[in-house]
Amino acid sequence: VWIAAAKSNDAQKMKFQLDTVVIEESCRASALAGRILSGTPASVEVRYVIDGRIAARPLADGRDHFGAGKRRMVVLTRRGSFLMGCPASSARFACCGYLVLVLASNCPMDCSYCFLQEHLANNPGFQVYANYAGAFDELDRLTHARSGRSFRIGTGELADSLAFDSLTAISRELVGYFSEHQNLMLELKTKTDEIDNLLAVEPRGRTLVSWSLSPMRVFAQSEHHTAPPESRINAARRVLEAGYKVGFHLDPVIAYPGAEQDYLDLLDCVFDTLPGDAIAFFSIGGLRMTPGLRSEARRRFPSDSMLLGEEVLGEDGRYRTFTTLRFRLFAKLRERIVKACSDLPVYLCMESASAYHRVFGADPPIPASLGAELADH
Amino acid sequence: MRLLEIAESLKMRAGQCVAALSLLEEIAIREGKTIGEILDRPSLRRIFNSAGSGPGRVREMLDELRTLRYPRLTRAAQQLAQKVAAIKLPAGIKVTLPRDLASDEVRVEIIAHGSEEMALVLASLAAKASELVRLAAMLSGVDRGCEVE
Repeated sequence: VWIAAAKSNDAQKMKFQLDTVVIEESCRASALAGRILSGTPASVEVRYVIDGRIAARPLADGRDHFGAGKRRMVVLTRRGSFLMGCPASSARFACCGYLVLVLASNCPMDCSYCFLQEHLANNPGFQVYANYAGAFDELDRLTHARSGRSFRIGTGELADSLAFDSLTAISRELVGYFSEHQNLMLELKTKTDEIDNLLAVEPRGRTLVSWSLSPMRVFAQSEHHTAPPESRINAARRVLEAGYKVGFHLDPVIAYPGAEQDYLDLLDCVFDTLPGDAIAFFSIGGLRMTPGLRSEARRRFPSDSMLLGEEVLGEDGRYRTFTTLRFRLFAKLRERIVKACSDLPVYLCMESASAYHRVFGADPPIPASLGAELADH
Repeated sequence: MRLLEIAESLKMRAGQCVAALSLLEEIAIREGKTIGEILDRPSLRRIFNSAGSGPGRVREMLDELRTLRYPRLTRAAQQLAQKVAAIKLPAGIKVTLPRDLASDEVRVEIIAHGSEEMALVLASLAAKASELVRLAAMLSGVDRGCEVE
C-alpha cells in the first residue's frame, strides 16, 4: 500500500510520492526547507516562488486538482495564527474541547471520505509552514493567559500529524516543547506507522499519539496509501512502550452490511494488543458528508461502495447513516469498549447532545472540561 | 431487459429515467453487479410484466429501486410504521416519524375541540405512554424491536 517514492539512498526517508517541491523564497534558508530538500529524491522537481500561497492553489490543467495537490509540497510562511478551535466544533454538537495547531495543510494519503476534499478545494497544495516555531510563541501566550487550565492540542485536523515526519522531523521539536509544559497535551493524530522520530525523543507524559482506525474492508477500499489497521495498532503498542499515551478514533464509522461485527473484531484486535487501562480514550464518529463533499468524493472515487451507504440528509445539512442504525452501532461499540475497560473515556465526535444521551445515557460534558479531562487523563 | 426498452415501454419521463439510472448505478456498485443483472431481478421483472398503468408501474419500479438501494432503512421504516399502527392511537392523536429516519425526533400531534375532548384525548395518550416510549427507543436503535442489521 505504501508508495515507495524512490529507491535512491537519499530518498529512503520518504514514503509518499511527490511530483514537485515548491519553496517560497523567504523560506529558502529555513531549517525545514533544508531537511525536506535533503530527503527528497533527485527525480522530484524543486521550484522557488515569491508567494507559496499561489502555488498551493489548484493547477490550471488536470482534472483531479485535489489529488495533484497532495503530490505538490509547498514550503511557505504561515501568515495567520497557528492555533485555532477545531473546525468540527459547533454549538450543535457535543464537542471534546480540542484545539488545533495548524502546521501543515492537506495529506499525502487519500481517504475517499476525507472532508479535506471539500475544505481545501481552493488550496489543495500540500503546505508545510517553515515558520512553525511561531506556534510555540502562541502556545506560550495561551499557557500564560490561562495558567490554571489544561489544554489538548492536536496537529492532525487539516493534515496527518506524522505523514512526511520522516522528512520534516517536526514531531521531535513538538514533543520536546510539550514535554516541558505540564498543562498542555499534544495529540498527534495519524493513519501511518511513521513513528521512528517519536521513538527518539522523551515525551514525559505530555504527548498522546492517536490513530484513526477502520476495519480491513474500509481500509482496503477507502483509505488509500494509509498503513493497514494492524500496523497502526502495532505502532500504538510501540509508542506506548516508549512512554507515549495513545488514543483511538473510530471515525468515520461506516455502516456497511456486516460493519458491526467488523468493528467489534477491530476492537478485539486493539484490546488483544494493548491493555485497555493504558489507552487514554476512544472517540467515535459516524460518516458525515455535506452534499458538496459527497459529490466530490463520489466523483473522485466512483466505484467506492463505502460512499454509497444508507446515508440520509440530516437537520445539520450533512448526510449520515439513518439514526436507528447509527445509534445502534455507536452503542454496540461503546458497550464493547466499556466491557474491556470500564473507566476508559469514550466520546462522540460531531454528534448532537441528543445522540450523546442516547448512546451514553447521560448528558454530554462541557467541551472545555472534556478537553481538560482528556489532557489530564 | 435494457433500461431504454423499459423506459420506452413504460413511457418514463426524463426525470424518472435519471432517478432510475442513478439508483441502478448505486445499487450496482454497492452489490458488485451489473445493471442488467439488477433489472433481471424477479421483483423488478414482476413490475415490468404486470398489467398496471405505465405511470403506476414507474412509481412501483422507483419504489422498488429505492428499497434495493436503502434496504435496511426501508426495513427499519416499515417496522416502525407497523409499530405505530399497532399502538392503535385514537382519532385526535397523530404520531409522525422523522423523514428517512434522519433524526430520533418523534412528533406527537394532538387535535381536540373543547375541554372535554382534550381531556379524553390526553387520557388516551397517557394510556399509550409506555408503547410510545418503546417506539422512541426503537427509533433511536436502543430497543432491539427494530432490527436493522
